[in-house]
Amino acid sequence: MDIKRFLTRTRLYFDGGMGTLLQAKGLKAGEKPEEWNITHPDIITDIHLEYLKAGSNIITTNTFGANCLKLDNYKELIAAAIKNAKDAIRLFEGDRGKCFVAFDMGPTGKMLEPLGDLGFEDAVEIFRKSAFEAEKNKADLIIIETMNDSLETKAAVLGAKEGSSLPVFVSNVFDEKGKLMTGADAKAMIAMLEGLGVDAVGMNCSLGPKQMLPVIADYVKYSSLPVMVSPNAGLPRSENGKTVFDVNEEEFSDVMAEIAQMGVGILGGCCGTTPEYIRKTVEKTGAVTFRKTEKKNYTFVSSYTHAVEIGGEPILIGERINPTGKPKFKDALRRGDIDYIVNEGVKQQEKGVHILDVNVGLPEIDEDKMLCDSVKALQSVLDLPLQLDSVRASSLEKAMRLYNGKPLINSVNGKKESMREILPLVKKYGGVLIALTIDENGIPETAEGRLAIARNIVRECEKMGIDRKDIIVDPLAMAVSSDKESGKVTLESVELIKKELGVKTSLGVSNISFGLPQRDTVNSFFFALALERGLDCAIMNPNSVSMMQAYHSFRALKGLDEGCTEYIDFASQNEITAVKKEAATETAGMDDLVYAIVKGMREPAYEKAKALLETTDPMAVINEKIIPALDEVGKGFEKKTVYLPQLLMSAEAASRAFDAVKAKMGDKRGESKGKIVLATVKGDIHDIGKNIVKVLLENYGFDVIDLGKDVAPEAVLEAVRSSGARIVGLSALMTTTVEAMKDTVELLKKEAPGVKTLVGGAVLTPEYAEMIGATCYGKDAMDAVRLATELSKK
Amino acid sequence: MSDNTVYFASATGAEIECDKRQAYRFMGCRDDGNAGLDALYRECEELVKKEASFKAVWRKSSVLIEGDTVTFDFGKITSAALCKNLEGCTSAYVFAATAGMGVDRLLLRYDKLDSVKAMVISAVGSSAAECWCDIVNGKIADGKKTKPRFSPGYGGVDLRHQREIFDFLEAEKRLGITLTDSYFMVPVKSVTAFIGVVEE
Repeated sequence: MDIKRFLTRTRLYFDGGMGTLLQAKGLKAGEKPEEWNITHPDIITDIHLEYLKAGSNIITTNTFGANCLKLDNYKELIAAAIKNAKDAIRLFEGDRGKCFVAFDMGPTGKMLEPLGDLGFEDAVEIFRKSAFEAEKNKADLIIIETMNDSLETKAAVLGAKEGSSLPVFVSNVFDEKGKLMTGADAKAMIAMLEGLGVDAVGMNCSLGPKQMLPVIADYVKYSSLPVMVSPNAGLPRSENGKTVFDVNEEEFSDVMAEIAQMGVGILGGCCGTTPEYIRKTVEKTGAVTFRKTEKKNYTFVSSYTHAVEIGGEPILIGERINPTGKPKFKDALRRGDIDYIVNEGVKQQEKGVHILDVNVGLPEIDEDKMLCDSVKALQSVLDLPLQLDSVRASSLEKAMRLYNGKPLINSVNGKKESMREILPLVKKYGGVLIALTIDENGIPETAEGRLAIARNIVRECEKMGIDRKDIIVDPLAMAVSSDKESGKVTLESVELIKKELGVKTSLGVSNISFGLPQRDTVNSFFFALALERGLDCAIMNPNSVSMMQAYHSFRALKGLDEGCTEYIDFASQNEITAVKKEAATETAGMDDLVYAIVKGMREPAYEKAKALLETTDPMAVINEKIIPALDEVGKGFEKKTVYLPQLLMSAEAASRAFDAVKAKMGDKRGESKGKIVLATVKGDIHDIGKNIVKVLLENYGFDVIDLGKDVAPEAVLEAVRSSGARIVGLSALMTTTVEAMKDTVELLKKEAPGVKTLVGGAVLTPEYAEMIGATCYGKDAMDAVRLATELSKK
Repeated sequence: MSDNTVYFASATGAEIECDKRQAYRFMGCRDDGNAGLDALYRECEELVKKEASFKAVWRKSSVLIEGDTVTFDFGKITSAALCKNLEGCTSAYVFAATAGMGVDRLLLRYDKLDSVKAMVISAVGSSAAECWCDIVNGKIADGKKTKPRFSPGYGGVDLRHQREIFDFLEAEKRLGITLTDSYFMVPVKSVTAFIGVVEE
């Protein structure tokens, strides 16, 4: 009776399309198909029955959009839909128990943050409610299908598992490039979904069966779970006034037989397919021998775009997002400065690391929140997989939950308490686990001792159902300056643990040189030695040239770098950087900083400011160079001799010059002209204008609290209250949203009297600004800066 | 019998020609030979072409105009401007087109890292979406005489109607486009529109 037993023994057939058949039976445009479960139960049951007769043994309930977000009566609709499907099975086979009802869950219809406006936990809750109803009404499994987004897929799986105990199948939509709409490829989806513990994975919709073949090949190669495939009948086109799909039943079923040959065990159809498509598919695949899905041993971590394999070529994990020994980083954490963290990430990505370690723990901050915020911010800017690094299990759990992909987890160790806390999290959310060879008795002095701890951790993991392929042992490099055996024992441990346990290995390389001069030299030699002993990945500093030299040389010497092209690239990049620095310093004295800013030359502006700061007071650089340069460009803009993009490029160049000033002044930041809250009002998503104002205001010394676009009046008020800002800048570009601007101004007047409002945007006029009671109207970005400066003096 | 078919088309970034003059106009400037900006434009155009994935769906609806109100198969819309646009038509195509989520990803990244680049990418993305709409418009018209396309949000057509248009086209399922609480589309470089069919 349990469908999981069938999965390993026989090929299963889903049904095909529902929409086209319902339209043929009279479903009107704009009418919700789910409502027909209640209004036309006989028709729904009939369609299910047709598919059963055609050979389907899993039928999908008519509940694609039956969730609490789209339909208030979702509970009744789900109950009716499952009953219709069960009725069809009873009519077809009585109670033999060989056919199954799959409860269908489609996407919410909303995009999750940060791309859209649906919160992750809100999405989980929507799916959880539907899944709960599915189990209550005795569906046999849940099929999550037509998923375009990896993060929403994760929310749906968590919802399905938290709301029910039913088996979960997951089917995503891939495009011709082999990617989901939001970017993930096949390996990334397989890694994430295996980690989440679903029962089958695959793809449906969007493409015809032929176009799906490359993605199917990846699924069959990398997935340890049964694979399901439900293609469209190609694309619809009009032929002599009749609608036809460009893949007919014969062609469809021929390709489906090929797909079965590849090892796909679950077949079905999507848009445009009918019972006839399924009947032919069942017929033609009958003779193809069923193969049980084999377990694969790839160690994958993934981001929202791609998976990184550990165990092939050496993998670099960037260590720079970590406050240990970095006063500036600590300051950034205390200020809640997420941009600082993101920049550290981007810099390491540019240096070529494959994974980023993220450690944002400080005793005096809320680490749970900081780790989650950092993960979200990093994942909106860069596509590297992350290693979540914390000693707090609660921080790890919260971040693992919303992480978009399959993360590395740093770490568990041989202590009972550590395993009790961490292993259940990895079991539930998925992840590759770094296991440290330390336990209640400390770090063993011998390789055998470290192996024993590693073996114990692996055993506990396997008891929990965590596969050994998802364990990376770190045998802990300790300072060689305090124990002369440390380097030797660690290297032995890497080799021994790998050989004996068949797990992957990692090292935090830099520890080895603690207490020694010229640490980079020791680190890079140690790294090269460890790689030679079979080290799979290293947590390291990519800004260290010697480390990167060791890495690139190793690859070239081990035959991993065809024609040494990557080594040559790396070497020439190094030379270019050196030459650039020289050139910039040489010309720094000759040309003026003002010129660089006016021309919008960013790096020259930075280098020139830096050179100038050697001899000149920072405040003088600001007041005599940077501000006059900005003013010059601003005037040009007002006279229309300079256009917006040039204005912005100059602003960015000025901003780089400010970076140099800030670096020189250390923590003594320049005198702030005050705080200002900026927002594009509710209902409006045009934020180019607001962003320009922001860049300029920051350059002129304001602390800008940017609330983004589509911001509710209450959120503006909240920001004013929490920041203490006395000026609010509001932007609106559409006639339909000036009303929202009025609401915001009125709310501020009532709840935060004394706060000044500065409004602007394409549809606004001075008259309208006055009418809605705004303090003043800015006609363009420069005007806004002028007005803000005046307001701040009052 | 009415044609219920929802038609579909797609193209890769490489297949779409961006209109540089239009993109400059979106940025609020004209091409005056500024080499720095030109280099930036070309860099952003390449990024957009690499990341964009164009898709569109369309479906025919009957049209009945009474006073200021148009009745479509999916519901009624009140707008004098739309009535004027569809004047004399008894049917129209409703379409949705998108440049895909890759452009949103780029915008998200560069909003944080480089606001000038974000602005140029946004302009290039808008221009690319417009070019794609022109191509789709051509496929829809297919030699027939049609009215200029008309999008919700303009001419007093309330954005709330996006919900009905989305359901009519199954835009979420077929294109992956979604609506926010304020009825804006995600991916942001997406367009919905009506194209009236002129009776011969």
